[in-house]
Amino acid sequence: MEQTSQEDWLDRRLREATPYIDDDGFSKRVLTQLPAPRRQRRSARVIILMGLTMLGSIIAYIISDGGRVVIHELMRLATLPMWWLLLAALASGVLVAVLGFAAALSKSRELQS
Amino acid sequence: MELTDADLVTRVLVDEDQHAFAELVRRHQSAVRGLLRQLTRTDVALADDLAQETFLRAYKHIRSFRGEARFSTWLYRIAYNCFREEARRRKEFVGIDEERQQQEPDPRVRDPALRHDLMYALSLLPLHERSAILLCCQNGLSHDEAARVLEIPIGTVKTNVLRGREKLKRALAAWGPN
Repeated sequence: MEQTSQEDWLDRRLREATPYIDDDGFSKRVLTQLPAPRRQRRSARVIILMGLTMLGSIIAYIISDGGRVVIHELMRLATLPMWWLLLAALASGVLVAVLGFAAALSKSRELQS
Repeated sequence: MELTDADLVTRVLVDEDQHAFAELVRRHQSAVRGLLRQLTRTDVALADDLAQETFLRAYKHIRSFRGEARFSTWLYRIAYNCFREEARRRKEFVGIDEERQQQEPDPRVRDPALRHDLMYALSLLPLHERSAILLCCQNGLSHDEAARVLEIPIGTVKTNVLRGREKLKRALAAWGPN
């Protein structure tokens, strides 16, 4: 009992011996030394990806004879029975949900590691 | 609602948000600087340099923070490593700067004479006992957390705390509770 009270007394004194240290510009000094954020590199990546996507779209448009294939396929799709269309919509929804779930899982694993 | 340390770390990881990191520095600077001041035996300038290095390393290696321990425990570990490297580089640490302590009494401390004796007794402890006492008794870490910071077995931490406490109690016998 007496030993516990002595330990409490000692711990209390130890905590009191180091009162809160005011920041006094310490945080600012740390921040000025941090490496610059890699936003520029990230935005360059976005620009490259967008550019490649646009280039791919233009090539696809030219190869498909001005989108004639797309129009033809859309007309074929319109003639399909209703239950086929519903099934296709459901399959697309499931596919998007699965992809989204996989992306979220991979991101959370990346954050944990 | 105030963001938790984990929320702020996530922001730093995902967006490289330096404002979030600044908030983490503001929250933990006092504890980290306090610990390093005690480890360096009140060499304030050196302690602040080491604290700065601690936060810079924390920012660079924030991806290695797995969230298994508290963010403060992870920071203490980096701080302790910074101190250990510096101690190895210098080979030895200067003794307690009594002159500075007497010149700069802290108005927030209730009993400056007791504080002086306590700091002096603390500075006489071997480093392994001093570190264990500072982490467990002063900063409130569990034995398990202190073992992770110091990278030693939990049993060794308990022994060091026990021995350190005994020595401090003996040194401060005149001040102790009756």
